[in-house]
Amino acid sequence: MNAIECAELGKRYRRGWALRNCTLSIPAGHVVALVGPNGAGKTTLLNLAVGLATATTGAVTVLDGTPAGSPDALDRIAFVAQDAPLYANLPVADMLHVARNLNRRWDQQRAQARLAELGIPPQKKVGQLSGGQKAQLALTVALARRPDLLVLDEPLAALDPLARHDFMRSVMATVAADGISVVLSSHVVAELERVARYLIVLSFGQVTVAGNVDDLVAAQGGGLEEIVLASMRDSGKEVPA
Amino acid sequence: MTATAVTAPTPRRTRRRPVSWTKLAWVSWRQHRAALTGAAALLGALGLYLLIFGLLGNHAYAKVASCHPAGSAVCQQLAHTFRADYWGGNGSALQSGGAQTISSLLLAVPVLLGVFLGAPVLARELETGTFRFAWTQGCGRVRWAMAKLTLLALVIAAATFAFTGLFTWYYHPFLVDGQVSRLLPLAFGLLGVAFAAWTLVAFAIAAFTGALLRRTLPAMAVSLIVWIVLAIGTATQLRPRYEAAIAAKGWNVGSGWVVGQWVTAPDGQALSQGTLNSLAQHAPASVQNSHAPDAFQNWLTQRHYTMWTAYQPDVRFWHFQLIEGGWLLALSAVLLAAAVWLVRRRAA
Repeated sequence: MNAIECAELGKRYRRGWALRNCTLSIPAGHVVALVGPNGAGKTTLLNLAVGLATATTGAVTVLDGTPAGSPDALDRIAFVAQDAPLYANLPVADMLHVARNLNRRWDQQRAQARLAELGIPPQKKVGQLSGGQKAQLALTVALARRPDLLVLDEPLAALDPLARHDFMRSVMATVAADGISVVLSSHVVAELERVARYLIVLSFGQVTVAGNVDDLVAAQGGGLEEIVLASMRDSGKEVPA
Repeated sequence: MTATAVTAPTPRRTRRRPVSWTKLAWVSWRQHRAALTGAAALLGALGLYLLIFGLLGNHAYAKVASCHPAGSAVCQQLAHTFRADYWGGNGSALQSGGAQTISSLLLAVPVLLGVFLGAPVLARELETGTFRFAWTQGCGRVRWAMAKLTLLALVIAAATFAFTGLFTWYYHPFLVDGQVSRLLPLAFGLLGVAFAAWTLVAFAIAAFTGALLRRTLPAMAVSLIVWIVLAIGTATQLRPRYEAAIAAKGWNVGSGWVVGQWVTAPDGQALSQGTLNSLAQHAPASVQNSHAPDAFQNWLTQRHYTMWTAYQPDVRFWHFQLIEGGWLLALSAVLLAAAVWLVRRRAA
């Protein structure tokens, strides 16, 4: 079973190709890390998978053959974009209500329980939450939709180390409890080592590495970071520090 | 990826029933509550003004209308005072302006309401990035955009149409008094269906521009300009041509909207403005210096020139209202559909 499957997928914006000739299968039931330097095409690939963008060439399907962006795919995928965009002027409770009314599947009890656990007051405005709380709220909204696939675009980029730790712990707890698939992108490798089971390295719109973390480590030796760095050097470019 | 994989239902999948319009309507209401409240406050304040001065005006006009005999000096004086007070606004300090000024100011309300409500609907989501949230929810972006635009458009049209009812009552004395023709641009845009239709089209222009420019403030500025050009162009170029104007001899015609005046020579040729000016300069001193307003016209008539007036008679009011309301409604529908289409095809 595949969470995301791309065949010859390409996306060209006015400024040029953001992703080219990308063929890959991302297996379901894991936490999959999509890694690469800034501008490597990670966000483009995720946008294509969640239906925010349409492919220039090739095709992308999700959750075993469902076309990306179709009503069925939208129903079963929860997406948290970079910087967790939510309505800053709404109180947390109303933000939940908005999300509830935009979806067919919704687990209000789960959302409220999670907020209580996190200590996020429902009457506080979303715009007044800390970065960590906002990311957790976005995750809460996403999980209340009871998705089969959770897609997170750079979920850790704006968070301090403690918030990163808490956030990843929440994601891992969900995976353990629900067995859902998670695909998350990051340009920082270190924080993914303990959570990712499957690794995809994107570099300049091309897939350079794709495989099971355990298999990759067994084959190449060293840690995740070395594997990523090696693959990026092979593609002819230095990794930005 | 095989056909069987697509059709084989997973246990968690149920028969698809789209997210209901009532749920989406609640979202639209919650997100635009503040703007709608602001619009309601503006219409409410203006409505209160119209209510107070409508009561005073209708009361004062009742005295004018019941004055007998109508031609007497007392009645003439009463009618004159009524016009000066309530049309010109000379009467009280409170009523600074009077109906003439108020109706001119009200002509700006449709564009203010429409642009203020319409521009942020899609542009705000695009500029703050929240569209990445909204467009990846289960309802889908097309349904989401349709729900938002339709609900707001209906609320705006209904509210402004109700406001027209109040304004018509307030304005009634000046219309029956013959002070203004209902077809004059000053009155036409505030009566019938025009006020609601011009608000709706302002909303549609702003919503579409917002989706196109992806920025709220530039969308407001651009749609403001577009609306003003459209409104002025319609009043000066388009509206006078909804029906062929009636040409009548003389410069004083019945109640109606004068759309053109000219003079023909005894041979039937129309005079250019330059010829008319030189005629005026060559008129005898007694005519040129006369204080009577129609001295020059009388002089022209004596010399077998003919004065003509093209006008749209008042009875065509509803016909014109329906033509204008019709094409504005169609234009609004096209613009809103185009905005939904932009949402549909816009890539992140």
